[in-house]
Amino acid sequence: MSDIDKNKFKFVTEKEKEFEEFRPSLTYWQDAWRRLKKNKMSMVGLVGIVLIILFAILGPYFTSMSYSDQINDFKNLSPILQIYEVGPDTYVTLTADYSLIRVDKKGRLIERLKEFELNESVITDESRTDFTKVLSPTEQKKKNDEAKKTLVKAYTYGEDLIYLDYSGVVNKDLDYKYVFTYKGVVTNEKYKTVWNKKYPFGSDNLGRDVLTRVMYGARISLIVAFAASLVNFVIGVTYGAISGYEGGRVDNIMMRIVDIINSVPLVLIIILMMVLIRTQNGLWRIIMAIGLVYWVGMARLVRGQILALKEQEFVLAATALGVSRKNIIARHLVPNAMGPIIISMTMMIPSAVFTEAFMSFIGLGVSAPMASWGTLANNALSGILSSPYQLFFPAAAIAITMLAFNFLGDGLRDALDPRLRKG
Amino acid sequence: MGKYFLRRSAAAVLTILLIATITFFMMHSIPGGPFTRERPVPDSIMERLNEKYHLDDPIFIQYLDYMKGLVTGDLGPSFSIIGKDVIELIGGGFPTSAKIGLMATILIIIVGIPFGIISALKQNKPIDYIVMFMATLGVTVPSFVIATLIIYVFAGLLGWIPTFGLENPLGYIGPVIALSGYSLSFVTRLTRSSMLEVLRQDYIRTARANGIKEVVVMAKHAVRNALIPVVTYVGPMVAAILTGSFVIERIFALPGMGGYFVESITNRDYTTIMGITVFYAAFYIIMILLVDVAYAFIDPRIRFEKGAK
Repeated sequence: MSDIDKNKFKFVTEKEKEFEEFRPSLTYWQDAWRRLKKNKMSMVGLVGIVLIILFAILGPYFTSMSYSDQINDFKNLSPILQIYEVGPDTYVTLTADYSLIRVDKKGRLIERLKEFELNESVITDESRTDFTKVLSPTEQKKKNDEAKKTLVKAYTYGEDLIYLDYSGVVNKDLDYKYVFTYKGVVTNEKYKTVWNKKYPFGSDNLGRDVLTRVMYGARISLIVAFAASLVNFVIGVTYGAISGYEGGRVDNIMMRIVDIINSVPLVLIIILMMVLIRTQNGLWRIIMAIGLVYWVGMARLVRGQILALKEQEFVLAATALGVSRKNIIARHLVPNAMGPIIISMTMMIPSAVFTEAFMSFIGLGVSAPMASWGTLANNALSGILSSPYQLFFPAAAIAITMLAFNFLGDGLRDALDPRLRKG
Repeated sequence: MGKYFLRRSAAAVLTILLIATITFFMMHSIPGGPFTRERPVPDSIMERLNEKYHLDDPIFIQYLDYMKGLVTGDLGPSFSIIGKDVIELIGGGFPTSAKIGLMATILIIIVGIPFGIISALKQNKPIDYIVMFMATLGVTVPSFVIATLIIYVFAGLLGWIPTFGLENPLGYIGPVIALSGYSLSFVTRLTRSSMLEVLRQDYIRTARANGIKEVVVMAKHAVRNALIPVVTYVGPMVAAILTGSFVIERIFALPGMGGYFVESITNRDYTTIMGITVFYAAFYIIMILLVDVAYAFIDPRIRFEKGAK
């Protein structure tokens, strides 16, 4: 050893020292987070999810109405109001079912005008010139008396009547759609179009605020989705872990059961479950039904992971140290399989939202007055032709949630499990 | 191969019987019988009803009777639609559901697969973005929303198609599009990603290096291999499309099986629920079986592996 010349060694310079420094080692989760942050789409998804959750939790505090408040006067009001100036400082807006609502100049809702029953004598009353004025153009084009009678409505406003001739809606030959007559003054031009300030998303067929209902619907839909995913997580992970760890005959039997469940369309089992679970609480029922059915996929995934993990040395070491089987599964195996489990959970949530909407839509979901997005969409169905906005908002909420979770899920898959990375 | 098919068929039959058993006992554990009404039925009538439908027999005897009927293709009478057998209900509703399901499946295959392939070949070009955007929209928007939108736009605003019913051939357009929406988007995405995967394989490069025409490389080497995962999805999808049609049938007021199923659940019509469940399950299992067999034909690797077992 002594024949090595000491001069052959030299101290490292400061610059070289720096070169030797390594970047700090990252844990699995830090690394995953770093990769997730790089993925723009998944960050959009994450922000979207946070916003949806805030919308559901905080939203209802900012609206003045509760989700079950019914104002019969203001039913079926669209988010966009067409205002007509029928007289000096008298403004009205028209609803989808041809009734009039008095509004102020800025479009704030005041009251629904009472409809005045038009009978034969009024229609043929020649002295009421204000009315025949409206009727005459219609009369020339439509010879049928019955048809013309049904196309005129009158509303009491103060001492007088406001007449509405809406023949133009049916008769495409006419160059107007609506004509208002009030105190002999004829108006057929829109004054202006404004946003509905009281009901930003419109109101439904019972005069409830759609915005508030979409917010509460978000609560129900998200609670169902998260709780069902949790049930699915508990059952799926336990089942899969036991099956994978025990192996042999236990594994064989457990997996055959999974095969059988998997060979029936899941929606079918959920429907049967909904019938079977007899609690009064509709929310619990749907959570249990979805959670008790969807764990199959999770169980398979976890089993696969555990099968691969249990052959590794750290499990052998734990066994040698006398760690109980329960603890090996809970402390050593499951935490190591957490990546794929989390990805699967993220993908599970949107499909639970979807399934819940589907169930509510066929009338098997939460019971009234609670409403999820699916129920809202279902309720909107009957009036779809006159008030499509009632369907649009809950449907958009479902779609946005689905998109956000799917984006995040894709990103998580790339970040947590690089082997599964897509091309 | 024959042995594999036999073994799989036996397992399928066993599964169907097992599902029938489970459904039977599930239905009978529900409190309240099929004749429970808001206004109580007099006891004597109840007895007669129970006697007529053999509901007073011990449950085990009822079970044996049901299974006997199931094997001979008799699913018993419907409890709520008087004078109709469940098998008649299925026979009446299934053709409608099947017709729409079949059309949707054809649409999915002839539209989804080509678009997926085009999208993969033109990766990151405008056409790829457009196709992927549509496909993403298709998986995120529920089928009932698509259905209502179709009614609103094409039946309501434009008046091109009828709002409900199938008397007019144009009436098929709405249900078929709404029914295929989700799966169509899924198949497109699946074909695209599988195609991209295949295009990266060595054998594609080898084929190109051998000077084979690009068209032939694509048709013979790439597409054939890329379709393997798609086949797996399409089989169960056909069955799922039929179950997914409850909502569509309701919206378009079609006389299909889905309507009977939902109705039978609210009416606690045991035999109809069981009958339709078993029918759906059997259908689903047979579809999966067919796919597995088809798979063994398409992909020799699978045949070898399974045959060796």
